[in-house]
Amino acid sequence: MRDTIIAARGLSKSYRRGSENVHALRATDLSVGKGEFVSIVGPSGSGKSTLLHLLGLLETPSSGRISLQGRETSGLKERDLVKVRRGSIGFVFQQFLLLPTLTVEENIELPLLFSRKSVNKDRIAGIMEMLELTHRARHLPHQLSGGEMQRVSIGRALVNEPRIIMADEPTGNLDTATADKIYSLFKRLNEGGLSLIVVTHNMELAGRADRVIRLRDGQIISD
Amino acid sequence: MNIFSLAAKNLMRRHVRTGLTVAGVAIAIAVLFSLLSFNAGYERQLGGELNSLGIHMLAVPKGCPYEAASLIIHGGVIPKYLSYSDLEQVRKIDGIEIASPMLLHQFFKDDKPHIVYGINIEEQKALKPWWKVEGRYFRDDETGAMVVGRSLAEKENLKVGQVLDFGPGKVPTTIVGILERTGNQDDEFHFLPLAAAQHIFGKEGQLTTIAIKVDDISKISAISKKLEQIPDIQVVTMTQVMGTIMNLVGSAQALLFSVIIIALFISAVGIINTLIMSVNERTREFGMMKAVGASGWDVSRLIVIETLIITLAGCAVGLTVALGGSKLVEGFVRGVIPYSPGGELISIDPFLILVCIGFALAIGLLCSIYPAIRCARLTPMEAMRSDLE
Repeated sequence: MRDTIIAARGLSKSYRRGSENVHALRATDLSVGKGEFVSIVGPSGSGKSTLLHLLGLLETPSSGRISLQGRETSGLKERDLVKVRRGSIGFVFQQFLLLPTLTVEENIELPLLFSRKSVNKDRIAGIMEMLELTHRARHLPHQLSGGEMQRVSIGRALVNEPRIIMADEPTGNLDTATADKIYSLFKRLNEGGLSLIVVTHNMELAGRADRVIRLRDGQIISD
Repeated sequence: MNIFSLAAKNLMRRHVRTGLTVAGVAIAIAVLFSLLSFNAGYERQLGGELNSLGIHMLAVPKGCPYEAASLIIHGGVIPKYLSYSDLEQVRKIDGIEIASPMLLHQFFKDDKPHIVYGINIEEQKALKPWWKVEGRYFRDDETGAMVVGRSLAEKENLKVGQVLDFGPGKVPTTIVGILERTGNQDDEFHFLPLAAAQHIFGKEGQLTTIAIKVDDISKISAISKKLEQIPDIQVVTMTQVMGTIMNLVGSAQALLFSVIIIALFISAVGIINTLIMSVNERTREFGMMKAVGASGWDVSRLIVIETLIITLAGCAVGLTVALGGSKLVEGFVRGVIPYSPGGELISIDPFLILVCIGFALAIGLLCSIYPAIRCARLTPMEAMRSDLE
């Protein structure tokens, strides 16, 4: 039995869209163990991204509780949530969201600027080497392929030495071969002890995780 | 990489827009600095010019408006005159060190006004000990001799020894001396012995004004009251002259300052517009930054620093332009205000430079507050999910 890194109880999220009340997620319970690789799958609008954002403390639930590494996060203000995210979670987004004026190396270093940590050049070089980006260190994002941009985004997620990586459709903008490489990279990171929660449409890639959670209409239908 | 280099790189993403905003700030700061400098320089030069007259008050014919009396010292001519008996009465008053009679006359040559001062040279030398002359001074009883100011000599290409036909009777008059540059209005005038000037212009026995120097400046007010008791005389002190001239230029200054305020307002609106556009375009990026560890304060700081870079760069460009183009601005402003003293009107005052830098910082902070607070309040997903309206 693994120790739990993140646990959610009775998690739900609803919001107004015009006159309509949308229930994106309904009373969901979920636990992820340390070192576990979890895929969340489901059709569009099933609530999988909402679940990931709530677990990643990027938005607050309408109801329910989340504990991260045993620490209760309900009721924390945004300035405290920032510190929790900074210390524990690395995010990877479908659109990469790299800063176009920063080089590959600078994009990877960016979170250190906000966590007030000094830049360890050897560590940055190590991350770039692992991600096969060393030769691209001084390039700008527009000079990179989609797969390379996503690897930079993964490097940025790793630089603060998080306990868990959360990725929202990380291969959604990539071709099959590149997507496969990104998953292989996730698998290697997971084998190194990192926990991962990855939202994806791709059932085949999802199957490479330790555990697959299926959502429909804001509820877990299989785990 | 630090927050400053990150802000600078963000600004270079839209370099044309950033450049135009910097230009807007630069124009506002250049106008602000030029006019503040002009204002300070104007008062200083005017005060200096009045001091350089070496006199404490002027006795002028009664009924002469203050404005006209004030302009006498700059060559203004009034159609009323004092007499030698007035001069005698003035000289009888205790406490007056020098009472020097003067006749002023104006004539036009090539449509340009020329001012002639008929003076008692020894008294004027006592009033203006800094006067130096190339050539020599005339004697008070001399005829056919004159001294000219340095600027006038340069403009008219006049030389010592040259003979000019002077006045309606074309009286041949030799330039016996050219004053060394004084930096004030004396550089522009013709000086003749008083009696000779009265004869040439048909004003025998007539005086335009009497320049008075007292032996103790604390007695100015008392002596002024005694002078006012002489039936034909009205007294204008130098403080009144300065006040009158400052009133004359006051309305022009009000217009100039309203131009500054409008320029600064337009500049501020431009900066806010640029910032809001820039922040709107990057809302998703700010959301990403928050997701990877940036606090609301970090995002606000980034926006404020970007704005301060724009305003301080604009300030640097504006000050450079203002300092480089001060002569042009001085020429322009001289053209729109009723009277301006000689000498450098725009002064390079470090205090005014600090005022402009402070002003640029204040504008930057003021303009960045709204976008910074708006962006800081968004949760990461609010920022990433939608663009700001």
